[in-house]
Amino acid sequence: METGTIVLLVVGGLVLLMVVGLYNNLIRKRNEVDFAFGGMDAQLKKRYDLIPNLVATVKEYATHEKELLTQVTELRAKAVSGNLSQDEQVAVDNQLSAGMRNLMVAVEAYPDLKASESFVNLQRNLTEVESQIAAARRTFNAVVTDYNNAIQVFPANLLAGMLGFTSRQLFSIPEEERQNVNVKQLFS
Amino acid sequence: MVDQDNLKEVYERELKPKLQVLDALRKKVVRRQLLVLLCIVLLAGWFLSGTIETQPVFFWILFAVLVGGSIYFGVKAGSMWRDYRGKYKEEVVREIVRLIDPEWTYAPDQMISPHEYQQSDLFRRSYDRYRGDDLISGTLDKTDFRCSELHTEYRDVSYDKDGKRKERWVTIFRGLLFHADFNKHIKGQTYIEPDTAERLFGKWGQKFQMSSKGKLVKLEDRDFEKLFAVYATDQTEARYILTPAIMEALVNIRKQFGRKMHLSFIGARVFVALHFSKALFEPRMYSSCLRFEDVSFMHALFMMNAIIIKELNLNTRIWTKE
Repeated sequence: METGTIVLLVVGGLVLLMVVGLYNNLIRKRNEVDFAFGGMDAQLKKRYDLIPNLVATVKEYATHEKELLTQVTELRAKAVSGNLSQDEQVAVDNQLSAGMRNLMVAVEAYPDLKASESFVNLQRNLTEVESQIAAARRTFNAVVTDYNNAIQVFPANLLAGMLGFTSRQLFSIPEEERQNVNVKQLFS
Repeated sequence: MVDQDNLKEVYERELKPKLQVLDALRKKVVRRQLLVLLCIVLLAGWFLSGTIETQPVFFWILFAVLVGGSIYFGVKAGSMWRDYRGKYKEEVVREIVRLIDPEWTYAPDQMISPHEYQQSDLFRRSYDRYRGDDLISGTLDKTDFRCSELHTEYRDVSYDKDGKRKERWVTIFRGLLFHADFNKHIKGQTYIEPDTAERLFGKWGQKFQMSSKGKLVKLEDRDFEKLFAVYATDQTEARYILTPAIMEALVNIRKQFGRKMHLSFIGARVFVALHFSKALFEPRMYSSCLRFEDVSFMHALFMMNAIIIKELNLNTRIWTKE
């Protein structure tokens, strides 16, 4: 075999190896994003499961908060309906978070409710879930950043463009979730 | 609780008189040691002069006196040193602990057990020598903790080109090991280690960060990332533990103590290892023990227990763990 052919084969082999490596890397990163989204979804579902109990408990004591309770219940129903796009889902969840916070501020006016054992228990579970959601969102953002970086740098961007890898949106983390202590103040 | 601000006043009033008595004892120990040294110098001079065979009987008696003297004063100095050290720990170190919290327990001769050390999983290298002392334990509000000085080493054996065996002791960990009840339920393992790679090579350093302890977790806090590398078996759980507030707190703790730190979150506990290169809570031998700085330093070390619990919000029990 001629030297030129050997060089060509070696170079061709190396290029092929590089393309395979890049492709596998992109797939791995995209799977990580999906996995992280799944993790976040699981935590959000836990919150949906808690809401009916919370609403029932609050309703018993806080008779003047009907409007707020209806709003939270409706948002929950919307969130679990399952026919929302990813962006809509995020918007509903953010509204739900805000609704829950308002509800928690409103219950301050009902000392009997705050003292009830089932409410204290629910509060704890809710704080737990909120912390888990915050953590899952941060994980999601970290892997999405990693994925977006991977598909935008040369030469992976060429391959990503050809194979239809598109960049994903980051979740904006509400200010109150960035401050652990604030959660405590709200719920105390 | 006596803090650093009013420690000086308490030192003058309560600790200084005790330290004055102890310093007199220390001087006695040093005098005995000097006598031993003097006997050894005289004996050595005699041998080196080469006139030992020609000496009369009287000098042989003197020789016996010098040998006997050095043994006697040596033994005496040893027992007096133990007495001095014991009293220092009981009267000074214990008192400092009591000043912080009278409910805390201080055991000068006890240490964090090998089982607890292994449970922390901070240092996986198996040790051949395990030493420690100054165990302090107690509860701060809802959080129980234990902390002691620890020194673990392994024996490194090598052979030179002549086949001669060489042995040396290599330190695995030396410093304070602390562990406390963690306020959240955790299932996996999260480890925080000093980040040398990122400090040396910046962002590129992340490429070199690898550990058998788990996957590298990249976090958002830049100050935190410059100081630490986080490895975890579950990266969402690592973020559940390391909230932005906790990351900030760890940066503060690291800056406050200025020491290398390892942390792990395993089971129901948080483990913190703070590295020191010298023995802690030990009395001075060849200079006065009457020093406020020494007392203040020990106070700061014991306060570490309270600082970690406070900074990491371990008494905040708003999650499902009570």
